[in-house]
Amino acid sequence: MSARQRLFPSMTPARWTVVAVLVVLVAAFPLANRDQYVLTVIVTALVLLVLNTSWNFVLGVAGVWNFGQLAIYALGGYGAGILMLHTPLPPWLAVLGGGVIAAVISVLLAFPTLRLYGIYTSLLTFAFAEIVQYVIINDGSGLTGGSFGFPTVPGLYSSLSPDASMRAYYWTVLGVVVASTVSLAAVDRSHLGIAIRAVRDAPAYTAARGINPLRYRVIAFAISGFLAGIAGGLYISFNQSISPSAMGLTPMSIDVTMLVIGGLGTVFGPLIGTALLTIVQTSLVDHPGIELTILGTFLLIVVVFVPGGLVGLIARTRNRVAAWAAEDEVAAAGDEASAGTGAAPDAAVAVGEAGAAAAQDTAGEDETAEMRRRSS
Amino acid sequence: MSTTDLVGILVTTFILGSIYGLVAIGMTLIYGALRILDMSQGSMVMIGSFVGWGVLVVAGWNPFVAILLAFAATFLLGTFTQLVSVQPLMKRRHEIDFEMLTFITTFAVAIVFTNLALEIFGPQQRNVTFVISGGINVYHGVNLPYQSLAMAVVSIVLMAALGVFLARTRWGMAIRAVAQDLDAARLMGVPVGKLYPLTMGLASALAGIAGVFLGGLYFASPQAGDQPLLIALIVVIFGGLGSLPGTVYAAYAIGLIQATAEVLVGTTWALPILYAVILLVLIVRPQGLMGKPSEARL
Repeated sequence: MSARQRLFPSMTPARWTVVAVLVVLVAAFPLANRDQYVLTVIVTALVLLVLNTSWNFVLGVAGVWNFGQLAIYALGGYGAGILMLHTPLPPWLAVLGGGVIAAVISVLLAFPTLRLYGIYTSLLTFAFAEIVQYVIINDGSGLTGGSFGFPTVPGLYSSLSPDASMRAYYWTVLGVVVASTVSLAAVDRSHLGIAIRAVRDAPAYTAARGINPLRYRVIAFAISGFLAGIAGGLYISFNQSISPSAMGLTPMSIDVTMLVIGGLGTVFGPLIGTALLTIVQTSLVDHPGIELTILGTFLLIVVVFVPGGLVGLIARTRNRVAAWAAEDEVAAAGDEASAGTGAAPDAAVAVGEAGAAAAQDTAGEDETAEMRRRSS
Repeated sequence: MSTTDLVGILVTTFILGSIYGLVAIGMTLIYGALRILDMSQGSMVMIGSFVGWGVLVVAGWNPFVAILLAFAATFLLGTFTQLVSVQPLMKRRHEIDFEMLTFITTFAVAIVFTNLALEIFGPQQRNVTFVISGGINVYHGVNLPYQSLAMAVVSIVLMAALGVFLARTRWGMAIRAVAQDLDAARLMGVPVGKLYPLTMGLASALAGIAGVFLGGLYFASPQAGDQPLLIALIVVIFGGLGSLPGTVYAAYAIGLIQATAEVLVGTTWALPILYAVILLVLIVRPQGLMGKPSEARL
C-alpha cells in the first residue's frame, strides 16, 4: 500500500481527480474574473480559511477549547510585520518567521491549559487573548502602532502591479490553503493524529496506554499555532497592515460560527463554514447589525439541531441514502433469488457490502464531528 | 499613596464591588444550579441599561420604575434564553459536552441581542441620568455621590435577598437541591422543567438591574454589556465557579484591584492587570477562592 493510500483510505483515484479539477478551477478563477473587489473578498476568505483550519485542529481535533487562537494569529501577523520592517529578511521569510513566533507562543500557552478542562481552558485562553490585545493597543514603544494599526508594510509582492499582485496573492494563499488542508488531513489520519484524538476522547485511558498527554497537546498547539501565525503573516502582507480589531470579539464570534456551522473537527468543516458565511457576510455588508443577528441565529440553530455541523449532516444524509439503497437492492435481489436466478444473491451481498463500506467511510467523519462531553 | 487616594480607592471598591457582585452572582447562580456559563448575561446588562435610558430619559419616570421594568424585561428575556438555548439540549445532556455547547448557544443569543440592539438603537452611547443628586464628602476631596451609594446599597440588598430566597423559600431550596444532585432532586418531585427557566430568568433580572446602574455610571449602548460580562467572568473564576459567597468576596477583591490599578498605573491598564491576575489564579489555583477543586487532571 502506498503512503497516499495509507493516509487517505477514503480517497480513490476518482476522488483525487475531482479534488484536483476543483483546485485547478478555483486557481483559474482570477484569470477569468479580474474584478478587484471580488478577488479581495475571496483572498480575505482564504486567509480566514487558513486561520479556521488551524483553529479547527486545536478546537475540534485536539478538543482543547482554546479561545486565544485569534491572539496567536494576530501575534503571527505583528511578528511578520516587525520582521518585515526592522530586519532585512525577504517578506516570505518574514511570514514564515511570524509562523514560528506564533508556534512558540502557542506552545507556551499549551502548558497552563493542561491542568484545566472545558470552561476553565476557554477562560484562561480568552484572558490570554485579552492581555495580548491590551498590550498591543497600549504599547508605548510605538512598535505595534497601538489601536491605529501597524505601520504600512510592503507585503509579499510590492514590485508587481496591483492587478498582478492581487493574482499572486490569490495563488499564494490558495496554495497555503491546499497545503495546510492536505497536511492536516494527513496528520489527522496518522499515528500522531490518532494519539491527539485519543487524548481528547479518553485522556485517562490514553495516558495509561503510555501516551503522554502533555507531549501531544504541545504538538497540537505547535502545529495549530504555526498555521495561525502563517495566516496572520498572510493577512498583514495582503492588507499591508494589521490592527488590534483583527483579534476582537466580533471576528472571534464569526470564526467560531464558521467552524461550528461547517462541522468542528472535520476536514471540510472549516471550508464549508468559511465559504457559506463569507457569502452571507458579503451579501449583507451594508447591515452589520442584521448580518450578525443572522449569524447568531445560525449558530444557535446548528448547535441545537444539527450536531456535527453541515459536514455531519451531509455524512448522515449519505449514510441514510446508502442504507436505503442497500435495503432496496437487497429486497430486489431477494425477490429475484426466490424466482430462481442463481447469480442474484451474490449481487445482493456485493451491494450490501458497498453500502456498508459507504456507511463506514462516513461514520468516521460523523464521529469526529461529535462534540464530546468533557472534551478537554 | 496619600490618605485621600486610599479613601478614594476604598469608596470606588465599595461601589464597583457591589455592582460587579450583582452581575456576577447571577452567573454563579446559573453555573451552580445548571452547570452553564451563561454568556448572555452581558447582553442582559445592556438591555437593562437601555430600559434605564428609556424610563429615566425618554419617559422621565422615577428610578424605581426603571428597576422594576428592567427586572421584568430581563426576567422574561432570561427565561426565553433558557428555552431556546439550553432546554433543547437538556435531553442530550449526557451525550454531549453540555458545558461547552451551552457556552456557545448562550453566546449566540448574546450576539443576537447585541446586534438587534445595534440595529434598533444604533451604535451611539446614551447618557442615563439619574434624578438623585448630591453626595457625602467622605474625606478631603473624596466624594461619594448619593446616586452611587444608592446603587451599592440596592445591590447589596438584592444580593442578600437572593441569599434569603435560596435559603428560606421552597423555590430557593429547589434550586439548591438541583445544584447538589439533579437526578435526586427530580426523584423528590422538584419540577426541573420550570425551575431552570426560573433560575435563568432570575439571574438575568439581577444582571438587568445592574445594567440600569452601570448605565447610570457609564452609558447605555449596544456594547454596554461586553465589559461587565468580561468582569463578571473574572469575578466568577476568581471566586470559584458556583460558589455564591466566593463570588461576593471576589467581586470586592476585583473592585479593589481595579480601583488600586486605576489610581497607581492609570485606567487603561486596569483591565489587563485584572486579566493577568486571573491568568495567575487559573494557573495556581484553578478552582478559585472558594470553588470546589475540579476533578484531578492527569
